[in-house]
Order: sequence, then C-alpha cells, then structure tokens
Amino acid sequence: MNKSLIYIARRLSFYLIAAFAALTLNFIIPRLMPGDPASIIFARFKGKLNPEAINAMRQSFGLTNDPILIQYWSYLKGIFRGDLGTSIAYFPEPVSEIIGSGLLWTIFLAGLSLVIAFSIGTTLGIFIAWNRTGKLDTFLPPTLAFFGALPYFWLAMVFLYVFGFSMNWFPIGRAFGNQVSPGLNFAFLFSVLYHAILPAFTLIFVSIGGWMLSMRNTMISTLGADYITFANAKGIPSKLIMLRYAARNAILPNLTGFGMALGFVLSGALLTEMIFSYPGQGFLLLQAVQSQDFPLMQGIFMTITFAVLGANWLVDIAILFFDPRTRK
Amino acid sequence: MKNFISVCSILALIIFCSCENETGRDKEGLIIYQENQISWVRNFEPLNPVSVCRWPTRGAIYEPLFIYNPIKTDWTPWLATDYKWQENNKRLIFTIRSGVKWSDGKPFSAHDVAYTFNLSKEFPALDTRNHWEYLKSVIAISDTEIEVNFKRIYVPGFESIAGTYIIPKHIWSNLKDPLKFNNPNPVGTGPFTEILRFNSQVWELGKNYNYWQPGKPHVEKLIFPTFSSNEQTTLALLSGNLDWAGAFIPAIDRIYVEKDPEHHHYWFRNTGHSTFLLTNTKDPVLSDVNVRKAISYAIDREQVVRVGMYDYTIPAHVTSLSGPMAKWHSPEIKNKENWTVFNLEKANNLLDNAGFEWNNKEERIKPGGSPLEFDIIVVSGWSDWVRSAQVITQNLKKVGIKAKVRTYDFGAWIARMQQGDFEMAIGWADKGATPYNFFKSMMFSGYVKPIGETADLNWHRFGLEEVDLLIKEFEQTSDEERIKNIISKLQHLFIENAPGIPLFSELSWAEYNSKYFTGFPNEQNPYGPLSPNEQPSFIFTLLNVKKR
Amino acid sequence: MNKTIYQNSILSRWFIGIMSNQKAFTGSCIILIFALIAIFLPFFIQSPTDFLGTPLSPPSSEYIFGTNGQGQDVFAQTICGARQTLLIGFSAGILVVIIGALIGGTAGFYGGRTDDILSLLINIFLVMPGLPLMVILASWLPPTPGTLLGVLVLTGWSWNARVIRSQMMTFRNRDFVSAAIVSGESNIRIIIVEIMPRMLSLLASSFIGASIYAIGAQVGLEFLGLGDVSTVTWGTNLYWASNDLALLTESWWTFVPTGLSIAIVSFALTLINFGIDEVSNPRLISERLWRNEIPKDMVSHGITPVFNHHE
Repeated sequence: MNKSLIYIARRLSFYLIAAFAALTLNFIIPRLMPGDPASIIFARFKGKLNPEAINAMRQSFGLTNDPILIQYWSYLKGIFRGDLGTSIAYFPEPVSEIIGSGLLWTIFLAGLSLVIAFSIGTTLGIFIAWNRTGKLDTFLPPTLAFFGALPYFWLAMVFLYVFGFSMNWFPIGRAFGNQVSPGLNFAFLFSVLYHAILPAFTLIFVSIGGWMLSMRNTMISTLGADYITFANAKGIPSKLIMLRYAARNAILPNLTGFGMALGFVLSGALLTEMIFSYPGQGFLLLQAVQSQDFPLMQGIFMTITFAVLGANWLVDIAILFFDPRTRK
Repeated sequence: MKNFISVCSILALIIFCSCENETGRDKEGLIIYQENQISWVRNFEPLNPVSVCRWPTRGAIYEPLFIYNPIKTDWTPWLATDYKWQENNKRLIFTIRSGVKWSDGKPFSAHDVAYTFNLSKEFPALDTRNHWEYLKSVIAISDTEIEVNFKRIYVPGFESIAGTYIIPKHIWSNLKDPLKFNNPNPVGTGPFTEILRFNSQVWELGKNYNYWQPGKPHVEKLIFPTFSSNEQTTLALLSGNLDWAGAFIPAIDRIYVEKDPEHHHYWFRNTGHSTFLLTNTKDPVLSDVNVRKAISYAIDREQVVRVGMYDYTIPAHVTSLSGPMAKWHSPEIKNKENWTVFNLEKANNLLDNAGFEWNNKEERIKPGGSPLEFDIIVVSGWSDWVRSAQVITQNLKKVGIKAKVRTYDFGAWIARMQQGDFEMAIGWADKGATPYNFFKSMMFSGYVKPIGETADLNWHRFGLEEVDLLIKEFEQTSDEERIKNIISKLQHLFIENAPGIPLFSELSWAEYNSKYFTGFPNEQNPYGPLSPNEQPSFIFTLLNVKKR
Repeated sequence: MNKTIYQNSILSRWFIGIMSNQKAFTGSCIILIFALIAIFLPFFIQSPTDFLGTPLSPPSSEYIFGTNGQGQDVFAQTICGARQTLLIGFSAGILVVIIGALIGGTAGFYGGRTDDILSLLINIFLVMPGLPLMVILASWLPPTPGTLLGVLVLTGWSWNARVIRSQMMTFRNRDFVSAAIVSGESNIRIIIVEIMPRMLSLLASSFIGASIYAIGAQVGLEFLGLGDVSTVTWGTNLYWASNDLALLTESWWTFVPTGLSIAIVSFALTLINFGIDEVSNPRLISERLWRNEIPKDMVSHGITPVFNHHE
C-alpha cells in the first residue's frame, strides 16, 4: 500500500512541475505577440479617442508597465486565488465566468463522444481480434482507418449540410434550441441531446477507427501469450478468456491513451465547435486570439492544461487499480 | 443485443420528442444577425469604448439627438427637434423634444443630455468622441434647451455631438464606478428596452411601451440567436429562421435569391466611400506621385471587382466619392485627370519617365539595380480583400512591379499600419456625413506622425499645407456655399496628389427574408439603409417593419 | 568497410521485408504516385492562381475539376497544392523522428540522471495541449511555411520521443548490448551498429505516424485561416472553398478533390504502418491470408499460429 502512495505522490509532483512550466509558458506567449489590445480598440474608434481615454483603458486592462517579474508574480498570485483577470473582448466580465460556460459544453460534447467512441471501438477491437474469421477482420480495419483519414472538418461540413440542412433531420447548430430555457427540465435536456447528436456523431465516426485498431493490435499480441494457451487447454470457456484474461490485459495501454485523449478533449473540439456553432472552449479561444484578449487566452490555455494534467493523473491512479504490476 | 435495441429506442424517443419542440419558430419576434458571437455576455452599457455592448444598445435602447440618414443625406431630428449656431459658430443651441419618457416611466429632459456630456468630462475614459478637446461647457438652460459652448470654432463637431447617445441621469448618477458598469437591465428612451430573456445562446429584446413615437414599434420583440459563421447565417436565412442580417454572402443570387425570389432579398448599397490601396508615402519609391498614379493606372479594377467582390460593387471614382456622396463632386471634375481608368500604356510611360528600367527578367529595377518590389499587407480574415490584393499583384506584374500579398491577423496588421511599418496595404479611410473627415484623414499634416510612432489616422503619412489651410477654413464655417467650395478644392488636391489609391466603392451588406415580416427598405423603397451594421440609422428599419 | 556492407544489407533486407507485405507495398505505391505528381505535374498544367473561367462552374472538358469561386482551375489547385502540403508534412515527420530519436534515445540509453531530466522534458511537452498552442503560435508568428513547420514539430516531437525511449530502454537491457559493452565497444558504436538496425521498423513507423499528424494538423490550421492564405496548398484550398460557401452553392467539386486527396494520402500512410506492424508482429496478419494454409481442424479461436508463409 505504501508503494502505491509513493507512486501517486511521485506522479503528482511531476504533474505539479509540468503545471508550473505550462503556467510560465502561458504567461510569456501573449506578451510576445505584437500589438496590444488597447491599440486594437483604439483603431475601432478611428482615432477619435481621447489620449487620456487610452491610458484609462490600459489601466482597466491591467496593461501596466511594471517590470516583467512583478507582473509574473501578480499573475501567479491571481491564479492561486482563482482570479483569472478581466476579459478584454467581453469587458468587464471576469475571465472565470466566461470560461465557465464554454467549459461545460466542451466537456459534455467532446467527453461524451470520446467515451462512446472508446467504448464502441474497444469492444469492436476485442471481437475482431477474437473472431478473426475472414470478412470482418479484413474489411473493417481498413475501412474505419480510411474514415479516420478524412479531414475532420471536411466530413463535419458534409454531414452538417446533408443531414442538417438538406434532409432536415438534425439542427444545424448550437447547443440547444431557441425555444427552451436552460434548467433541469425535460424539454431542455432533450434539446441538448438532440443538438449534440450530429456533432458527436461526426467526432465518433472519425475517431472510432483508431480505438478499434489499437485494441485489436494489443489484443492480438496478448492472445499469443502462454497463459492464454494454458487457459484454453484447461477448458475455461472462450468468452471468459476473451474478457477476463485477454481483454483486461490488453486494455491497459489503451487506457493510457484514453487518459491523454480525455485531457485533449478540451482542446481538440475547436473545429467541431466552429462548424456546428457549439458554444465551447475552442471557439472562445479562437475569438480570444483574434481580439488579442490576453487574459481570456491565458485563462483558456490554463484550464486546458490543468484538465490534461488532471486527467492523466487520474488515469495513472486508475492503472494502479487495474494493473497490479504497477503496485510492485 | 437487447441492450443495443433499448439504447436505439431511447435515442429514437429523444429525437421524436425533440422534433416536436424544434419545429416552428417564434413568429412574434424579428430574428436578427449582426454580431458574430459564440456566446452572449449581458452588457448594455453604451458609453465605455472597451466593453462591447450588445447590438442594438446604441440606437434601439439609447437614442441620439439627431440621426443622419445616409440615403437622403440629411439629419432627422430625434431626441432633439432643432438646432442653431450662435455667436459666430462658437455656441450651438439644441431644442430638446418634450413628452419623451424613459422606459421606467420617469420623464426625459435636457438635464439628461447635459449629464451625458458632462459625464465624459468627469471620466475621460468615456470620452470616445474626444468632445472635450474642443468643447468648453454643456449646460441645460431649461428642460428643453441645451447650450453647447466651444473652446474653438469647430463646426464639424456637430456630427459627433448630435450623434451622442443619451443616458438617464437618475441611473448613472447613482453608480459607484461607471467604468466597470455593464448595465444588465437597461433603462432607455428607445423603441426596444426590455430584456425578456437572456442566456448564452439566445437573448430577446422586447418593446418599450413608453416609447415617444405613438404606435411604434410594430414588432413585439427582437430575437438574437448566436451565429458563429457565415455558413450558419446563410443556412438560417434560407430556412426562414433568420429575418434580417448584415452579412457578406458570396454568390448571393445563386445561393439565396434563386431559392425563393419572392421573399429572399438583399441590398448591398453603395455607401459612397471607397476601399483603398494605401501606399506609404514615406517610402522612397512610393513618395513619387507619378509612381502612385502609375500603379493606379495598372490596376484592372473591373477584374478586381469581379474576382474579389463577386461583381457586387463598382470601380472607384477618382475622388473616391460615389453614389450618395457623388453630390459633392466638383463642377470641374470632367477636366481633371482620371487615373483610376485601366490604362497599361500610361502606367508604363509614367514608370519609364520615373527612371525604372526593365531588366531581362520582365521586372523593373530601381536605379541601384534591385528589382521594384512591394509587399501588400491585408488582414487575413477579410478574404474578399485578400482576393482583391491577389488580383492586384497579378495586374502589377504586367508593368514590371513585383508585388506579394502578406496576410496578418488584425492585431498585427493594425500595429503595422499605425506605426507606418508597411509599403502597401488594402485599407479604409475615415468617413462622415460630409467628405471633411475623409480628406482630413487622407491629407492633413496634423495627423502625420513619423515612422515608428503610433498614428491614429493618416497611416500613409501624407500631409499638404494647402489642405491644412482648407481644413481650418472648413471647421469655421457653417455656410453651405463655402463648404461646397472647400470640398471641391480638396478634391482637386486629392486628384493632383493621389495620396491613396481608391479601388472600389464600399458597400453596406444587408439581406432580409420577408416570409414573416415586411416593411424593410430596399432599392425600390429606400427610406433608410437596410443594413443593421449602419448605426444608428438602422432604427428607421426597426420602426417600420411589421409582422405579415 | 565491413561495417558498411553489413549495414547496407541490413537496410536493404529490412526494406525488402517490408515491401513484401501487401499493405505496405500498396501504401508506398500510392505515396510514390502522389509524390511524383506533386513534383512534376505542376510544370505541365496552367497556373492555379490565374483567374480564368466563370466562377463556380462544374467539371467540364475544359476544366476537369471545374472552377472555384474566383474562376480558378480546381484541378491545377489540387495538383499544385500537393507540393507544399506534402513537403511540409514529410519534413515535419523527419524532423520529429530525428529530434525524438536524439532525445528519446539518449534518455533511454543512458538512464539515470539524464533520463530523469529528459523524461521530464518529454512529458511536459507531451501534456501541453497541442491544438490551442498551435492556434496561438500560428496567429502570432508571420504566416510562412517555416512557422508552420516549427509549430508542427514543436507540438509533435514528444510522442515519438517517448516511444523511442521505451524501445531503447528495452534494447539496452538485452544480452547483446551487455555483451557489446563488455567487449569494449563505445556507446556511440553500440547505438549505431547494434541498436539502430533493430529499431528501423519503429523509426519508420514513427516517421509515418508523425507525417500523418503533420499533414492533418497543417490542413486544420490552414482551414482556420492561420496559414498563409495567399499560397496554394490543400489546406488553403479548403479554406477558400468554405469561405465561398461551397456547400450552399452546391459546388462539391471545389472541396471534394482536395478532401479525398488528403484522405487517400493519409490512408496510404496508414496502410504502410499496418504493413510494418504486420511484419514486426506477424500475428497481426489477417486470418484470411493463412487460413488456406492450415487444415481447418487445427484452427482454434483467437490463437494465431506463427509461421513463415513462404514455406
């Protein structure tokens, strides 16, 4: 038991270091970008702004001329207090509030799709590796691989047009209908699910091949091991061997992959959100970058990094649970 | 297997139930697209230059004293009914309309107007129009009269004073920090002031039952769903889920109008101003006016318009003024040189005479031997301008100039323009009710800053002493004859000196779907501009549309 | 002298071994065809940037793939677009593998302190969210191909480094390496002569995986408009098609050729990877291929016989 705790602690310390590095990177990058938000807004008013007004603006943005180290220190202090600053593009909303709404939608859509794609893909992989009779095994992997090779946004646009617009089966965008009001009522929840179908389907369609293939490969390697032959020889029922012994071992490398994907769920959904007008983190980031909204950019990047690190750490713990070898 | 079937049936049930909810839109509300947002933030504060208040806060919730109608090119009295200049143009008196109420029932008066102006004096950060640079004081003489006193004579100041949005004194005077206020429940004089619903994806602005124009507006409410891309906007217009939009749509006849010619309309009206190829006149080669004119002669504007702008607009006039601004054309225009026609011979001649010879690689070289080349910088997101720039580079190749298009995102681009770190760029010029703002931004020495210093306007850094004198004269007179005269002289100077190269007329993008609402302005009935992007004259449309 | 002959024959034997696999062979042929087209064909067709025909006209005898929203030849754009996309994609792939091998290999071989530090570096880059970082960097830096290359390599190298590192660690503990160390071979010699030849499949597989990633990410960034929109690449072709509302004008020809080309190239690369996997681990070969060679009663569920099907 002690060894496990040490392991968890070691992993945690690593993630803390990585988080620190990410925070520093997060601080540096926006400051390297050319142009500052005040000049952009200034340009919006075609030069009619009072010079005092510009300075006042800069003050409200927190764009001081303090030395870099002092700015860095107040930035770190702010993070620990949970104060991510005030957004510039959405002034005077605090960054944490803006991120809050986007975060939930991204986690919902991308997370749901990931879980479904992983479950279906892995299950398919197990069956294909086990039942390697002809057609399914020669036909499915290359086909799913081809679907995975299509550029995601291209496929998304096609699906949106065909299923959303031409055939009118699904809504063409947004997270919920305009008629329903957010809250814990059936109409809203149904609307959310209905609107999520098309974007989730596209995400699943493109990623399922990858999960299936990697599960198939690890499963096949596992099936070649001695203990499987032994179990077979002892007369243990096939299904039991397949699931309890082979799959359980084969799934471990894929769990690590799943953990990483879980973290990247927050960052990779950008194109989906653009095409389906889904109000998540990705599109928010794009807008923040375009309006040079430093605080918002930093906030989003930081949330994503923390989510990735957090997810990885959780998976490390889960592997500890699944794979007794790591407890040694 | 059983699990699979049950999952499928649940999914089917969900789809079925949701379908019931999704069919049909709210026909009481006019659905509008103007802002490109993915998620709404509740902000209706009209003064702060930083915070982006929701459209149509400025115009539909808060109203100005006069509204300029760019179609009729006149000022419509709004919260003020009359104005007059006194004391040799050093004092401006406004008569404020009586009988107007705020949406919370309290009466509106000249004291609110005076308070609005004096607020920006107290908080310079709110002085977005830089009033206090030339104003001395703003006093309410009575409930219906405002006296505006000037520090120096500046007649063009009328435009920005008359266009100021008036806010209620009884709300703002109770605020602790007006700079951090986001006004979630606005109180205004405008036709729509009630926030009926607000979530991150859709919000609704309801009718103001205390509005001062009786019987108006006819529409119950305005609905604003989020639209993240042009595709979404167009799809919504086609399916009848969007009534009014101000979006640039390519091949609009084919995509939109043909699908339902009876209800699908658009009007991309000529605003009268132009989009420019700006040339940095501090560049050693581009400082020569003949080089600039040669470049202009070499551009095939018809091709630029066809390829870059889908043939929606027309090549620019040499004065950059067209359409509704054409009434300012000097009577001697016909006798002046027109360097906006496509004439490769003239272009080549001018370049030859300027001393740029050809090398054997079909390029012109500068006296030192290096090829004649320029970068044209464009904002990467504005694809129509990127395409136009690409056509221009191909045109310039024919006269031996090597030009390359470089795209930057808006922040980087504007930084370069302001600091003069560019050779050529596709950009805009200042606008106003008269060409005064335009010519000032093009040729006024006072705006010229050295390269490396941030310039607010006149990024191409061209100044002319004669222009300075004319501008000074213009600011001091309110006599219509003299104004016309000065504008004519400015035009002649512009044509002579070609400080910038106008490419094509600037359009205002607007479409509507008349399936559920009628009363929109169009070319046959131009009572005002159609585009919701034209602030605040979109009010005319908002007050005129009604349900079918 | 001896060493070079020895290595050449390893390399060539490995190469022949891979190519004898059906999947790898097919994939390589497809890539070769695309590469040849990308290099040579642009010289024979008209310029993709000239504004020639009526915009948005469907495929015809004059323009095989029709014209796009500006009247440019879509066929020319697809062909010419291949050049930069493939060039940057494969260059990124090579750079990623080189950096990955250097860092990952060093970490795996030397172990100890070096490993700790390098592993930390690898893991930090591994958890850094790629797409947001790419978006931020690409929008800030000038939109040149160099920027794109840099951004792709920066966000992609860590995955390969980790894989190479684990493989290197496995080899490091094997007998033949211990024997070489005992017999006094220098570390460098061990790495190059003993270990690298055994890692050829892994390196090739890493290169292919990195290239697939680079092509996909590049196209994604350009589609968002973060690349240089005035160049002709597959990504910018899709960007313009989307800008011109290709779907709504029903001009499928403006984006299908490019989309399919990307898919075919990525798929071909995936096939090659399948092939390499199968050669390194023959168990993965589809059952259909060996079912004929083994009597039916010897086939039991899930158990893969390993055999050399040249016998």
